[in-house]
Amino acid sequence: MATPVSQTTTESPLLSVKNLQTSFFTDKETIRAVDRISFDIHRGETVGIVGESGSGKSVTARSIMGLVDSPGRIVGGSVQFSDVDTVERLAEEYPGQTIDLADIRAEHDPAALIEQLQSREADLSRLNGPGMADRDPVELVREGSVTMGDLVAGGYTDQLGITDEDAYIVRDADDGGFVDITGASEAAYRKIRGRGIAMIFQDPLTSLNPVYTVGNQIKEAIRLHQGLQGDEAHQEAIRLLEAVSIPDAHRRVDEYPHEFSGGMRQRAVIAMALACKPQLLICDEPTTALDVTIQAQILELLMEIQEERDLAIMFITHDMGVIAEIADQVNVMYSGELVEKAPVESVFGAPKHPYTQGLLESIPGRHPDEDRLRTIEGDVPTPNVKPTYCRFAPRCPKAFDACDVVHPVNVDVSEDVDDNHTAACLLYPEDLPESDAVEHHRKRGDGGDDQ
Amino acid sequence: MSAVFLILRAGPLDPVAAILGQKQDPVMAHQIRLQLGIIRPDGSPVPLWEQYLEFMHGLITLNFGQSWVISRGTPVMDLIVARAPVTIWLGFWSVMIALLIGIPLGFYAGLNPNTSSDYLASFGGIVWRAMPNFWLAIILSSVLVSSQFFTESLFGVALSWREWLWDTGVIGGPPLDNLADPEQLFAAIKWIMPAAIVLGSSSMGNEMRIGRTAVLETINSNYVETARAKGLSGRIIVWKHVFRNALIPLVPIISGEAFLLVGGSVLVELVFGINGLGKLTFDAINSADLTMAGGILFIFAVFLQVMNIIQDFLYTLIDPRIGYEQS
Repeated sequence: MATPVSQTTTESPLLSVKNLQTSFFTDKETIRAVDRISFDIHRGETVGIVGESGSGKSVTARSIMGLVDSPGRIVGGSVQFSDVDTVERLAEEYPGQTIDLADIRAEHDPAALIEQLQSREADLSRLNGPGMADRDPVELVREGSVTMGDLVAGGYTDQLGITDEDAYIVRDADDGGFVDITGASEAAYRKIRGRGIAMIFQDPLTSLNPVYTVGNQIKEAIRLHQGLQGDEAHQEAIRLLEAVSIPDAHRRVDEYPHEFSGGMRQRAVIAMALACKPQLLICDEPTTALDVTIQAQILELLMEIQEERDLAIMFITHDMGVIAEIADQVNVMYSGELVEKAPVESVFGAPKHPYTQGLLESIPGRHPDEDRLRTIEGDVPTPNVKPTYCRFAPRCPKAFDACDVVHPVNVDVSEDVDDNHTAACLLYPEDLPESDAVEHHRKRGDGGDDQ
Repeated sequence: MSAVFLILRAGPLDPVAAILGQKQDPVMAHQIRLQLGIIRPDGSPVPLWEQYLEFMHGLITLNFGQSWVISRGTPVMDLIVARAPVTIWLGFWSVMIALLIGIPLGFYAGLNPNTSSDYLASFGGIVWRAMPNFWLAIILSSVLVSSQFFTESLFGVALSWREWLWDTGVIGGPPLDNLADPEQLFAAIKWIMPAAIVLGSSSMGNEMRIGRTAVLETINSNYVETARAKGLSGRIIVWKHVFRNALIPLVPIISGEAFLLVGGSVLVELVFGINGLGKLTFDAINSADLTMAGGILFIFAVFLQVMNIIQDFLYTLIDPRIGYEQS
């Protein structure tokens, strides 16, 4: 999509999700559970994903982990994971599917490549926004808005036959390169899971195998990802349990999950995820099944661990209170789409999308003088057709006629320059009159790959 | 056992008539009744409660008395000991067949759900499950007896089951006195196979279906998902995380087979002409050998109890959530 060029950090993101699309294919219909969403996660950052049940949060997480089960399938987009260690490990294992940027730079000139693409009238909007087709390639390259890395990442080198379509590992001596996880085979995925990206699930009561001791399950991850054996692994497991504040860890390590309380089990699950030494931790509603005091402890624990290890966390929840506590950056999902994306302060201080506003209004206690809790009327629709309208319109208090015929795209709604705040709603950009704003969305919506 | 006693003794079975057969000689009948201890010397019948006390006392002291009809005068225990080995041999192999074919097939189907091989295995399981023992036994024995005709018309080579690999009979039980000799051992296994397949068939189908469901249930559980998220390989996940959990629901099914085996062995042994406990039970009841029948039923009852206890112990081995010590 047309990513706003203003980037809060100059550092490249650890995980970059671009136009990810995951669909479930049934006999009756195709459900677009995740429908072309894009977002970034940086090192040490917590990115919250909020939305009602059925808005596609968990499918997003599973898509990143490669755990989407049949009949679901990732049908488009990319998930670029830029962890140097992971890139090197995979490049070593699968040299045939690795692209070395240095080699390509030595052989080809990016400007010439862009020219070739322009002459083929290829769709260049994936590069850095629309309007690329008319510009002078040499100038683009000189001003740095298009690099060889962009050409490779956008799949243009595949189009030109320079790189292999199956290649998904990009090595780059300058900034480490990335792995496009969506292209990885199951065997390669196993190398990324755990050590690159670990995940903890919603229900700690069933996340541990009841017939093996907690220590056994943690050691399994230690042996696999840290290469420790025997007593060393055992000591490491105890150390990890202590790190997640389980008292009496040397005794607890030999106990079975049923001997742990709910909160302790979630701690054990976190310890197991940490045993993999991940760069990114995906938490799929890790506190939903726990009571409030335990919930607070677990959140605190996660924040401590994040600080210690410079861990990136993707935190999925439907609880706005939890998001306020833990997230730096918030992505609001609705019916498979990202409808608002902003730093946490902006989401709570100046929510733009009517859906976000509705979510915030629904937090109990916001309107203490009212008898009834506020809700958003209706349910999340099943996203089973390509959207040509706003999926939230039927429930939106601010909907107008155009909402039924124009699909809104993410537009910049930042109040601050650094905010990087976007919302997908026809009400924005606010400075344009309504009809112009709608026209703006219609035009960008037609631009093909746009979100 | 009290119920067994009542059913046997208060029922319509008349051991005296069975012993005497056609010639109804009142003097002999009187003598036999006296011998069996169901009338007093003065001709008045021994009351049922006295017979009951004697019967129960015998069970507790493991003294089942002597056979009344089948082999008059031989202690019941001797007969049981003589007939038990071939039944144990049959039972062992039918359990083995069910375990070694049923469970792997079920697990395979569960790991590859909704594929054509799954459908084939599931369909086969249901068919096996549905086939009645006695019918399958008759069909199988008649096919094997005339095996050379079938193989000749199908493959052009006459292959007699009797002579194939080892010389055995189709019906009857194998001699079990020299199993240390491999030749004899394999012959004995081959000999018992048809009967064991018939006896194991229904439990095999059962285990297959339960195994498939158990694997499917386990594989969709959260801990398997967590294990996948850890980056474990599919092989470790299946062998370590799936199998042990899938075995838990199978334990009662397997031990429940004991019941099937006891009931089934009566039919199968009869059809295959194996001289084992099952056939002995059938004969004892048929010929109103009340002490014999009582003794065998007692052994069966003890056997089932033992199976139940073993089942409970197996649970504690497989599932750590079940334990005997208070914690």
